[in-house]
This record gives sequence, structure tokens and C-alpha cells, in this order.
Amino acid sequence: MKLALPVLGLLAHAAGADPLRLRADALATTASPAGLLVLDASGAAEPGLSAEAVVWVAGGQALDDRAHGDVLVIAIDAHSRDGARAARLGRFVAMLGALRPVHIDGGALRLRLPQRFDVAVAAGVPVLPGLTTRRSWDWVAGGRVARRLGDWGSAGIAYEQRRDDGQLVTEEVGLDAGAAIDRRNDVGARLAYDLANPGLAELGLTASHRGTHVRTELYLLHRAASHLLPATSLFSVIGDVASERAGAVITWTAAPRLDLTADAGARRVDMDLGAELVARARLKLDDRGASAVTAELRRSGVGADAWTGARGAGRIALGHALAASTELELVRPDEPRGRGTLWPWALAAISWDHGPWQAAVAVEASASPEYRSRVDALCQLGRRWGAP
Amino acid sequence: MTLRRAALGLTLCGLVACAGVLGLTHSGSRAFPHRAHVVAGVSCTRCHAQVDDGTPALHLPGDASCTTCHQKPHDTRSCLGCHVAPGAIAELTEARDHLIFDHRRHLDGAANGNCMRCHTGVADGDDHMRPAMATCFRCHDGEASRNARTCDACHRDLADQASLPATHLAHDGDWMREHGTRAASSGDLCESCHKAAFCAGCHGRTVPALPAARRFADPFAASVHRAGFVARHSLEARSEPGVCASCHAPERCASCHAARGIAGDQHASPHPRGWIGLTAAENQHGREARRDPAACASCHGGAGESLCVTCHAVGGVGGNPHPPGWSSRQSLGSMPCRMCHPTGATGARTGGSR
Repeated sequence: MKLALPVLGLLAHAAGADPLRLRADALATTASPAGLLVLDASGAAEPGLSAEAVVWVAGGQALDDRAHGDVLVIAIDAHSRDGARAARLGRFVAMLGALRPVHIDGGALRLRLPQRFDVAVAAGVPVLPGLTTRRSWDWVAGGRVARRLGDWGSAGIAYEQRRDDGQLVTEEVGLDAGAAIDRRNDVGARLAYDLANPGLAELGLTASHRGTHVRTELYLLHRAASHLLPATSLFSVIGDVASERAGAVITWTAAPRLDLTADAGARRVDMDLGAELVARARLKLDDRGASAVTAELRRSGVGADAWTGARGAGRIALGHALAASTELELVRPDEPRGRGTLWPWALAAISWDHGPWQAAVAVEASASPEYRSRVDALCQLGRRWGAP
Repeated sequence: MTLRRAALGLTLCGLVACAGVLGLTHSGSRAFPHRAHVVAGVSCTRCHAQVDDGTPALHLPGDASCTTCHQKPHDTRSCLGCHVAPGAIAELTEARDHLIFDHRRHLDGAANGNCMRCHTGVADGDDHMRPAMATCFRCHDGEASRNARTCDACHRDLADQASLPATHLAHDGDWMREHGTRAASSGDLCESCHKAAFCAGCHGRTVPALPAARRFADPFAASVHRAGFVARHSLEARSEPGVCASCHAPERCASCHAARGIAGDQHASPHPRGWIGLTAAENQHGREARRDPAACASCHGGAGESLCVTCHAVGGVGGNPHPPGWSSRQSLGSMPCRMCHPTGATGARTGGSR
């Protein structure tokens, strides 16, 4: 939190240079009950030097039983005019190629080197919720080296190590690659390998072809939960059973205002195999999509956890600033197991967006394994200052 | 046969009725016939007269400009109410609000008064008046800008722009699933539009409420936690073990369940009959733990792990929990090895190895 003062100082200085942007959002629900106030500020003191901060305070117990206020982001960014050197200091989410994003209090540095090489490093203390000072000595550090391949792709390798009180929690190496083969075809891949308990932690492959009206994507995902757990967890040593998902998605702009999407794939967890099927239609009722309706059918899950669902939603612009929206979802689990045979969820809302003000009220009704029936009210009010 | 004809007729009527809604036909707006005007020798600035005045106007011609040649044949509505491509005005408004651009400088400079040097498709009937970014890079150094990620040299408030990039990175398809793989190799490109708070809004450990929850009135806001997610989250989590750990700490499940009074010390065990027993058939917990260890860790993590050790410690009745061929680089004296191997003994009883 010591960083808060220089960041606020920079934001205050920014008010005299570039417009300081502030945003406040208040959310209240009867669900817990809970109230939430989010303050979002950003500004640039000069070209290449900027800061941003998002802090929140909450009432009620819905959000986290430990935290009633916290800092999501508070960071200073600096970069050279040509973008060859960039640094970030503060609380932010560090991303190193194929490795999972990690929320840290620390710093990151990115350098562009000759021969199209890029180097990025990040180090800091993993964030814990609740502004706690009672934390053990833990840290995370990592880096990524990548090489750009012309203007059509890049490939990189990343390494990250995290220790908690001296104990090895995570040690991973990641490989990533992306390429735009031509204007219509591109591919992307990422792989994370657990070095602490050797094994493949995550793998993602995607390839897409973009036609005039049809986009086709093939995907494959592999995830091993035991390698995603901290290496200090007893549950990281009991196996290497992965979940996998593969399939194809076709998105067809059937008419200028009508998009149709079909996702056909399969999931596998251990010995269980399940179908992953989605059919979705979205119709814009005006050119900008301010009014639109959508309908979706879904079949998902494996084994006893498979379910079938339908969802419909619509938003109608009632005028320049007013809009009404509604959303309905029905989920039918294959095996109710005493949790109800149908889980409906519905929401009806009216929103108002005029100038710097945004407001919305909604009524949410649902039945779930937790509640036979439940009705909640939601209210949101937002205000922006500065551009835009 | 009659029924079939009736059904066919009904379908055709339905399609015709829907054609306008789908945007297939436009009783109102249609693309402006730029080509016909160019062929007729009408100069661009004759209609777009104020294009070089340096103001942030859209430079669309008014009715008065049209009626210098045409008589208004239809009705009292504005010409642009019909003779403009769907979405074209919205596209121009976006461009005006989010591009740093001065027509006057370009007309006097490289374009040398030739509008079609940039608006290349106009003479061919292209509806999109905003040139593609590749057109800009014919004169401006695109590679240097792209490498330096100096998007703000031309783009203003990219993060707040309603339209998504069409040329260098398309956010189409199932972007929620794709973005991780795409961002892995292009993270700095993401940062050219998205601020740090954008990523932290979902991946941060101190997220108070996901963006979709705060934008509850927008049913098209993308989120994996949309709609009745609370009801179906257990099914989704068990169908893709480990997916929750992409953003959440393992103990997140336990803290939320305890806060909502669903689980905790005061509640009965959520496990079914046959979870733990003396025979293999009565020991579901082994298979389930191997399949989804993150689910076990969400409640039994930390101090709760001692529950497992009572049976699975070296020499205990629970046997070796490691699968065949399992290995680790951890020393036996470190966590979690020392929980079951207190004396540093390997104690492989059922085929596991270190």
C-alpha cells in the first residue's frame, strides 16, 4: 500500500496534464445482502507515463468472507517513446506467455532486443485477498523470451517459480506460439509443463479460418488439475488424470443482422466421455446491435455431471438512453440427485445510460440446488468523470 | 400435397416477412451508389463539401446537396434515411470519435486531392467508408508502429471504442475460450488496448464481483459466470477439473460455501455413501480424488490434509496414493512429502515410485 501514495500523486499530477479519468460504480443486491462501491481511476502525466488504480469497498458477506475492501489494481506504467522498453510497478496481473496469469504486488519489465527478440520479466509477492499483513515470505518470479517472426507471428518460452515460506509451490515452463498464416488463417498454441511434479499442466491449440461469412475454428484443450495445484498440496501427488476438450466452432453470418454459431466437440475426464454441443443464434434488431435477441441450446458435461440447457436473452433500446433487457436460462441436470430436476434462472432489467451517468435496476429469480425459489433485486449506479 | 404447399407458402411468407429484420432487404437504408456518381463525373467534394474544414463533423451531405441535382421523389424523409449503407453512419461516428485524423492535412499532402487514394473501395460500391488500417500503412510506417505498440498515435481511447479490431486481431468466435491461447503469444498486443484492470477484472485474486455481474443489465456481456452459473457451477467444475484454478485459489470454494452456509464444520459431509470403506467398491474417494484433486483441495487443503494422512501415511492402511510411474523432484523432507514420509522413508507399498 506504500505504492498508493506515489500512484495517487501521479494521478493528481495527471489531472493537470491529461484528463484524469475517474469512474465510480455502486452495486447493491438483496442476495446477501451486499453492497459494492468500485472506484476506478487512470491518467497519464505525460506520454509514456501513466497510472491506474481500482479499489473497492463492500458491505455484506457475499463477496468474500474475509474482505470488505481491497485493491484490485494500483500500478504505474512507463514506456519509452518507441515502445522498446516498458516497465510496470505496483499491483497487477502478470502474464508470461503460456503460464497462468498471476496477481502480484511487484514489478515487470519488457525489453525489445535486436534480432526481433523480446524479453519480459516479472517478480513480486503473490496477492492475497483482504489487505492482510499476516503473510509468510512468499514470492514469484519469472521471465519470457520470445522472437517475433516477421509481422506474422511469434514464438516464446517462459519460466516461472513461486515459493511460499521457502517451499517450492510452482515451477513451470511454458511454450507459446502464434501465427497469422495469411489474411484468413491463423493458429495459436500454448503449453505449460510442471517441473515440480513433472507432467503436462495445460495445453491449448486453436486454428481458425475466416471466410467472408463463415469462420471456422478447431480447438483442443488439455488440463491436468494435479499440476495446477500448489506443489505443497497433498493433492498434487495423487495422480495425473487430465480433462480434455476438442471440437470445432462454426460461426456463420447468415444475414447482415443474423449470426449463427454451432460448437460441436467432446470432453473427456478420466474414462468418461461427453458431448459438448452448442447452437446459438443472435439477431440484431438494428444496425448497431443496440437492440438484439439471442437464443442458445447447450449440451455439456460428462458422466453424472452432464446437463442440457437453453438460454434466451433480449435487449431493446427504448430510446436514446433507456433500454430494457431480459434473460432466461433453463438447466436440466441428467442426474438431479435430489437437487431439483430443472434449474430456471431469469432476470429482467431496465438500464439508463446518459452522458456520464449509468444506472440499472433488475429483478432476478431462480431455483437452484441451493434454493427452491429465490427472488433478488439488483441496483447499479455509475458515474464517469473526465474523458471519455 | 396441399399441406406441403401450405407449409412451403407459409415458410416463404415467413422468410419474406423476416427479410427486413435480418437485414437482407432494406425498406429503408441501402448502400449509397457512389460508383454511379463517380462515373457521372460528380466530384467527391461537390457533395462532401466541408471535408477539409478541419472540424470533427461527419462530412455527410445534407438534403440540400442532393437536391441540387435530384428532385426528392419519395417522401419527406431525409435522403440519408434511406441512401446509406446499414451501419455506415455508426461506423463513421466511431471513426470520428476514436481516430486522430485530419482530412485537411491528407488532402493537401499525400492524397493530393484524390479521395480515392484512401477510400479505395468507393468506386467499386464498397459500403465501408472507413479505410482499412492496411491503407494507412501504405504511407505510414506500420511495422514500426506495430512493434512499438504506439497505437495512440492514431487511435484515441481504444479501450472505450465500441468496435473491435477487424484487421490485425479479430475478437470473433468463442473469444472467452480462445483468448488465453491468443494472449499467450501476443500479451503486449492486448495491452495496447486493454489496461491492467481489464485482465485483473477476472484473473485478479481480489476481484469483488466479475465484470458481467456488475453489468447485469447487458445480457450480451461475455462471461463464463453468466446467468444461472451459481446453480450449474458444480456440474461445470466437475466436468473440467482444474478450470476453476485458472483464476481462483483452491480454498475459494470452501470460503464461499462456508459463507453461504452450504458446507463447513457444522454441516453434514457432502460425500455420498461408499465414499470411504474397507473394500475397493466402497472407496469412491480415491478415484474421485485422482480425477479432480482440486475439488478435494478446495475443502481439505492446508490443515485439512491431515485427514488423508491418517490412512495414507507410510505404513498406514490406506496404501500408496501415488499412481504407477509417478515421480517428483521434491525432497522427502519438504511439503507435502513429509506429511506421509515423516522419516524420509520411501515406503512404496503398492507400486508408486519416487
